[in-house]
Amino acid sequence: MLKIKDLHARVDGKDILKGLTLEVAAGEVHAIMGPNGAGKSTLAQVLAGREGYEIVSGSVEYLGQDLLELAPEERAREGVFLAFQYPVEIPGVNNVYLLKAALNAIRKHRGEDELDAYAFMKIVREKMKLMQMDPSFLNRGVNEGFSGGEKKRNEILQMAVLEPKLALLDETDSGLDIDAMKVVAEGVNSLRSPERAIVMVTHYQRLLDHIVPDVVHVLADGRIVKSGDRSLALELEERGYDWLQKAVGT
Amino acid sequence: MSALLESLRQHWRDRASTLPGNADARQQALEAFLARGFPTTAEEDWKYTSLARLEDASLAVPGPVDLAEAMAAVERHAVPGLDGPRLVFVNGQLIPPACRLEGMPEGLGVGSLGQTLQEHGDADPLDRVVDLDRYRLARLNTALFLDGALIRATKQVGAEKPIYLLFLNLGAPGAMPLIQPRVLIDVAQGAALTVIEHHCGEGEAAVINAVTEISGQSAARITHYRVQEHAERHIQIAGLNARLDRDASLVCHNIDLGGALVRNDVHARLLAPGAEVELNGLYFTRGTSHVDNHTRIDHLAPRTTSREDYRGVLDGRSRAVFNGKVLVAEDAQKIEAHQSNNNLLLSRECEVDTKPELEIYADDVKCSHGATVGQLDATALFYLRSRGLDADTARGLLTFAFAEEVIARLGITPLAERLSGTVMGHLPDSERLREFT
Repeated sequence: MLKIKDLHARVDGKDILKGLTLEVAAGEVHAIMGPNGAGKSTLAQVLAGREGYEIVSGSVEYLGQDLLELAPEERAREGVFLAFQYPVEIPGVNNVYLLKAALNAIRKHRGEDELDAYAFMKIVREKMKLMQMDPSFLNRGVNEGFSGGEKKRNEILQMAVLEPKLALLDETDSGLDIDAMKVVAEGVNSLRSPERAIVMVTHYQRLLDHIVPDVVHVLADGRIVKSGDRSLALELEERGYDWLQKAVGT
Repeated sequence: MSALLESLRQHWRDRASTLPGNADARQQALEAFLARGFPTTAEEDWKYTSLARLEDASLAVPGPVDLAEAMAAVERHAVPGLDGPRLVFVNGQLIPPACRLEGMPEGLGVGSLGQTLQEHGDADPLDRVVDLDRYRLARLNTALFLDGALIRATKQVGAEKPIYLLFLNLGAPGAMPLIQPRVLIDVAQGAALTVIEHHCGEGEAAVINAVTEISGQSAARITHYRVQEHAERHIQIAGLNARLDRDASLVCHNIDLGGALVRNDVHARLLAPGAEVELNGLYFTRGTSHVDNHTRIDHLAPRTTSREDYRGVLDGRSRAVFNGKVLVAEDAQKIEAHQSNNNLLLSRECEVDTKPELEIYADDVKCSHGATVGQLDATALFYLRSRGLDADTARGLLTFAFAEEVIARLGITPLAERLSGTVMGHLPDSERLREFT
């Protein structure tokens, strides 16, 4: 589904990604771990199409097309979803209407009919229950006055409603207490399916206790330096990142 | 400007005998105004705002108003859902059938200033609050105003429903009408009052020179809305002057969503300890429009408070000016004064000049000010696009959200809904954006 080849990217003249290669197939859950400043969030932002990153070389292929050619909204409509590390507060823009517009933009792109209010609300209510969110959240401004945990839940709610093909989770566990993390993990797990790929970027392995990945990668200094199964994450937790960085000479 | 001033003299000759109130006082005001004329850009306070376009204009006495036409215009412009006391003026003239004055609580007087002066012309309530030397446009208003509102809370009324003053200004081809509404608000000790001044208009250019005087005695609580939705050729000059006694509070909302040339002066004087004033402002300028807000707050006593938050959205080749002056007198210790002015620039051709001015003679004060001029937040824009919204829609929504933060502070739902709608209507692709709010 996703093929990243030798990707080099820089921001403000500083090289961040330095030859990153990664393949993710449909149905798989990948975790990308690494120390702060390794380029984890940059990778997520570059894949979602954030402006301000200069792609120096390399390629990203998504479902057979050149992902880097697409505008952020085109990527979203093609099924890419980024759950933000710091979701943005937008007072004055209603949460539920944003959700509806987002879903209808995607449906329209796929050539499907836009949903009427009734059908839409049915989906939303069901997903909110899953995320244990109070219905009053819907009529507030987007993330307005939400706590850190509520914002993260709202991200996963959006993801659950939009049903992306490729879900990117950027530090979704940061700022969550254990109960909130369980709810978020349950939401993500409910979306695991053979047609969908999930890429989680995280600093700590604790999220992986709840969302068990198929593959774990270590990103250090702009490259994937090691890949393995679940046990790699546990090893990292025990030994930190230093040994690995020394071992691979970064 | 002599042609202009001559037209004002003519105005006086045509009108003097019919104007209510003290004719001598009016003539004195006129002479004093004419002696110095309109402000020019040579004066620091008017550096960025030129009234030169009035020079070639001939200002006319507003013609007679056709009642049926006036009533139809009121229907088009009045904010629905405001069911408290209402006074309606079209081109400066009171339209009695459009007013609603029944069921007023005891101790609250709301009525036509012109009528009151006609009946009790000797007790002249004008010019008690406004500083005429500093704000001489008030003299022009005093000299030639036709009518306006007189609102008096004489005892502890807590008027629940806002008093709605609608000033509708209809321009017509030919000479520009000079329309000069006058509003006097006098609130007794411990009373509470909310007044909406809604200035709107349609048609060809009209010139509006409005003056409001607010006096709050001790512990009075006053909320004042000045909402301006003029047609694109209208010129509005508005002066709001307030004096607040011990523990009195005034909240002013200043919203400008229309007009070609708009100049607002707010001057609040905090006379005794505990007095406080809050100013919220929003201006949305487009095309070649020009909106200038000058505010001045005098902290003349200890433990007085002022808060000021103005926001602007600028598009096209429009221009905005914000000048916020705060004066703290020598013995006004332990005061607080906070001011901010944030501007969103939607095009490359628009321009804003923003300037805080602090003049502090006391040494134990808390003052802050800040101004920003910028574009939409790139992260928020990316967030919306990453949800599948196209870039134009995302930009429109964020612009709306920026303005909406000021509108959300308006405590009157029908008014807030109306203004949200107007702001939305100014945005490109507003039909689609409406679905999001």
